[in-house]
Amino acid sequence: MEDEQWLINRLEELLKKSRDYKQKALLQAAINLILEQEERKEQLQGELDGRLWNPGNWGS
Amino acid sequence: MKTLVIISHPNINESSSQQFLVQSFPDSREVSMHYLEGTYPNGKIDVKKEQALLKEYDRVLFQFPFYWYSSPPLLKQWFDEVLEEHFAFGYRGNKLQGKEFGLILIIGVGEKEYQTGGQEGFSISELTKPYQAIAKKIGMHYLKPLTIFQFPYMTEADRMKLLIRYQQWLMIEKPDSLKAREAWMVNQLEETSRETLDIAESSFILEQAIEKIEDNRIELDELRMHIDNNDQ
Repeated sequence: MEDEQWLINRLEELLKKSRDYKQKALLQAAINLILEQEERKEQLQGELDGRLWNPGNWGS
Repeated sequence: MKTLVIISHPNINESSSQQFLVQSFPDSREVSMHYLEGTYPNGKIDVKKEQALLKEYDRVLFQFPFYWYSSPPLLKQWFDEVLEEHFAFGYRGNKLQGKEFGLILIIGVGEKEYQTGGQEGFSISELTKPYQAIAKKIGMHYLKPLTIFQFPYMTEADRMKLLIRYQQWLMIEKPDSLKAREAWMVNQLEETSRETLDIAESSFILEQAIEKIEDNRIELDELRMHIDNNDQ
């Protein structure tokens, strides 16, 4: 997550400096997208962990 | 995919939401805007020209304020005259078959009112049935609508989100898919002007962002693969 935070901080700096409204919106959307990906990764990791702990699968 | 946005509004210059959407329009050769009241100020529609225009596009989106659960009058007239027999339906009337049909609705009342028990009492899906029926009759694939509720009350952050969502709605085949939005974002970050960014290392930061989005996609696909394998 440290990597993400570094990148998000840099993108926020860019967003503040941009002189174009559409570009500001794009940079904000890039930040939102990266956060959405991180959340999706956590959800999938949780799903995977849950399945690995399923006693029904232990015998195989 | 080529998209045509047909806009109908009796006075577009006085509409802040329409102005915002016009300003938000993507810079892409694949997407075009066609403002009906501007093209036909006397209300006389050139039917053959409109039909020829429709044939050039894969996705046709109708953008208008949702007045009395319907469109402004010129768009209704456009449907009446342009989607005629032998062109859009009936014998040899298959010219629009297989294309996509979508609505972009600007709505003055809050979203929560469009349901049973709400102030409006009916959902947007129910109220847009005539458009769904038109699409069905002419063999077009009806898309989920892009609904914009109470634009004047939107915060700056909401407006920025709307700008991007609008662009994606016009440019992406499946705008709700995360994977499709990632690919779109990578493309946009590659193309965005470096000149409007003051920071010297802006290119580096944008490259890092692209790399991050692509790496995340690889990780997401791998996780999905492990889950699917675990199912077997």
